[in-house]
Amino acid sequence: MTTTMTRATGAVTLTTACLCLATAAEAGEGRIAIHVGRIVTMAGPDIEDGTIVIENGRIQSVAKGAKGSWDAEVIERPDLVAFPGWVEAHSSRGMDRANENIEVAPFLDVRDSIDPINFYFEDCLRQGVLAINVQQGNMAAIGGQGRVVKPYGLTIEDMTIRPSSGLKLVATRPGRSRALQVQSLRRAFNELRIHLEKLVQDKKDGKDTARREALFQGRDPDKEENKKGRAMEGTATWKVKDLEGVPRGQVDEKQEPLLRLVEGKMMAFVACDGAISVVQALDIARENGFLANTVLVLEGDAWKAADRIAEAGVPVVLGPTLLYVERDPITGKEVETFVPGVFREKKVRFALQSINASAQSLWFQAASCVGYGIPREEALAAATKVPAEILRLGDRLGSLEAGKDGNVLLLSGDPLAVTTTVQYVVLDGNLVYDRSKDVRVQQIIEGVEQPNAAPASTGDEELDPHSGEKKPKSGPGGKKD
Amino acid sequence: MTAALFTAVLALAAVPVQEPEARAWTIQAERVYTGTGRNMERSIVLVRGGQVSAVTANADEEKERTQDVLRVYAVTAGLVDAGVRVTNWTSVEQSNEVTPNLRVADTLDPFALDWDRLLRSGVTTVLASPLDRNVIGGLGVVLKTAGPETIAARTVKADAVLRGSMGSDPSAGNHPAFGRPTDFYSRRPTTRMGVEWEWRKAFFDTALNHNENDPGRATLVAALQGKLPIFIQAWTTQDIRTAVFLREEVQTRPEFAAAGMNKPRFVIDAAAEAWKEPQLLARSQTGVILPPFPPAGRTRENAFMAWNTAKVLKDQGVAVALSSHGSGDLEQRLSVQAGYAMAGGLTFEEALAAVTSIPAMLLGVQDRVGTIEVGKDADLVLWSGEPFQPGARVVGTIVDGVLRYEGWTAVQGATVER
Repeated sequence: MTTTMTRATGAVTLTTACLCLATAAEAGEGRIAIHVGRIVTMAGPDIEDGTIVIENGRIQSVAKGAKGSWDAEVIERPDLVAFPGWVEAHSSRGMDRANENIEVAPFLDVRDSIDPINFYFEDCLRQGVLAINVQQGNMAAIGGQGRVVKPYGLTIEDMTIRPSSGLKLVATRPGRSRALQVQSLRRAFNELRIHLEKLVQDKKDGKDTARREALFQGRDPDKEENKKGRAMEGTATWKVKDLEGVPRGQVDEKQEPLLRLVEGKMMAFVACDGAISVVQALDIARENGFLANTVLVLEGDAWKAADRIAEAGVPVVLGPTLLYVERDPITGKEVETFVPGVFREKKVRFALQSINASAQSLWFQAASCVGYGIPREEALAAATKVPAEILRLGDRLGSLEAGKDGNVLLLSGDPLAVTTTVQYVVLDGNLVYDRSKDVRVQQIIEGVEQPNAAPASTGDEELDPHSGEKKPKSGPGGKKD
Repeated sequence: MTAALFTAVLALAAVPVQEPEARAWTIQAERVYTGTGRNMERSIVLVRGGQVSAVTANADEEKERTQDVLRVYAVTAGLVDAGVRVTNWTSVEQSNEVTPNLRVADTLDPFALDWDRLLRSGVTTVLASPLDRNVIGGLGVVLKTAGPETIAARTVKADAVLRGSMGSDPSAGNHPAFGRPTDFYSRRPTTRMGVEWEWRKAFFDTALNHNENDPGRATLVAALQGKLPIFIQAWTTQDIRTAVFLREEVQTRPEFAAAGMNKPRFVIDAAAEAWKEPQLLARSQTGVILPPFPPAGRTRENAFMAWNTAKVLKDQGVAVALSSHGSGDLEQRLSVQAGYAMAGGLTFEEALAAVTSIPAMLLGVQDRVGTIEVGKDADLVLWSGEPFQPGARVVGTIVDGVLRYEGWTAVQGATVER
């Protein structure tokens, strides 16, 4: 408990410091000009010696030269490099818990689980990851709805970039047979169909059950917009006839998000840890009409189904292990495959995922891609533009262009160099992060323990009742005497 | 990163299973990082008879060129990892907690995949040590990661170090006697103080009791006389202090001086919290091998390793080597450890030394490996870009003049020419 308290205090301390920065930025009447030595725009060639002007939280211009303005706050840092924020296309971190113990739960929303003061978001900000698609973990068949958030803000509403970013589907659940898992997925859609058909039948029979159920769930089925019926849309291989006769407000709220998926109004992030699961996931997506809205989140040997993925035309998010190693059954030697290279060759759009929120964040993954022969521009795009487009936020995130969100990283050097650090973060036109004021950086880099700062701890410490000093917990994993 | 262009002009051997011979190579590189303070641009490294035969800045000099030419972006000496964990439970002799006479070389498998993994990440020389399950585990061996398929043929230095451990590893899993009688399966020590007591007992027994029947005695005598370095694993400040104080005790107690056994040399392996005691380590002239950098600060034994650890120690004059603990993973391999040390403040040259010449020096094999110099072993790493950046990869590894890993063709999905 003590640890939890200390952690929370530390996070609040930092957040408060950041808030002060933000307030200072807002004093510039919503206009800020950032003059740097180089702008990596991710929308055409880099600009040497350029200025980014942000007005009311949006980028107004990105141009060469110093473009001061009498009414703008100016950040004058010719020694730094400006870069759009990194975009995490899929993450199951930052939540109170990553999983709910319900197999099919499309009605859940990570909104209710995301913890704004979770260290994960603080780390993301420090690493310059400015948009994160938070999705439920893999311990379900159909998980809840995800949400794209910024790593900054005290409430989930402050953090939100896009609510309901998509449903999480899991084609391979750890510790469960593929057959059972695929059956769970198919059954979920079958149950949706049975539910809709029952609604139609009840309507024909003049039964009032669905309306009363809606009232019981606390919804108002008699509201004007809920009274309308609509024929089933989308490209699913199955249709429920006469659905237009059923007021949409009477569809069970536990099933409604799944209906939106089937009607092509919601995205699906489908986790596959093997090639076989990819094929199954694509089949299910085709049958139920959401192939065009599908993003595959891949692990393991799923890359071996790259041809099927290319044929289906869906984009992929690649798991943290980019270098796949397997043993040749005949020679016994290890064979290495660089997974992004495979997808590039097959012309499949791919986004990268961080290994962790600390030192091996998205920059590291993009750098690895360069090492294995992917052109620099494409490698950078796989952690900025491409994930932004995959999340359908390409008009707001992923590059420094006029009209996009006013998000800028100020880096100490090249975005892919191991020695580069994020010096400042401007988010929606507000300066929200200053490395020189980041107490945790001092802890991580220099080991300096700050008074009242949260320890960079794994959480397995407790206070010694005699000395009042921290001591590790006894038991497995802890330090022994 | 500058594009790297490769041309490997190879006359393929007719019989594929034959042991590849040490060729004469001409390696042309945009950057040659010799590790001797000389960084050269557009230069050539010539390899003959398994050794470096010339390092020349004059890339146009045609006369000495060999038939086989490799063109790469950068070349460094083969990396040296003094902290690999390539051994498993079969390297632990559990009949005693102190087994200084045992040779880890006798348990090593030349066909293990660990060697290939290390080779692929540019590591050419390693120290293999017994697993830290005994207090004093035995004798480590310095060997190449590739070569003929016997450990003896790959050995650079047999019986190179005496390996042991402080902290909880030697006692972890041992049965304490609480609530049950001491039986055949009880094993000591069971606490940190028990581990330390075993060390002191072994040292004092060696100095005071001339038990010539003790098979480990000769080894311990050599270690206490300073003829054999003692590598001690110690992660936390507490354990690092215990190790250094143990050495100081040996140096100052009259019993050891009388026996001429008061000059042990210590190297502390996995010294994650060494940054808390830089002066102590500098004063005692103890070498340090750091464990892989932890992303979130904490390493094993709950030790906290700050990112500037290598820099702090280096500034105090401590010899610091880095280790990946044998990992070939992209984010943990030895080359990125050097990159992380640069992120913590080391210059490129200092980081290079920490993965080549310094570990070679700590292992006493600096006359053969660790730098690119005429007459040294032709252990070379070929890079696609600036070494230690995650955006550069190992595209070739040469061990004793033999091209043992050809990274430009080995990895599916990877390309080099672009």
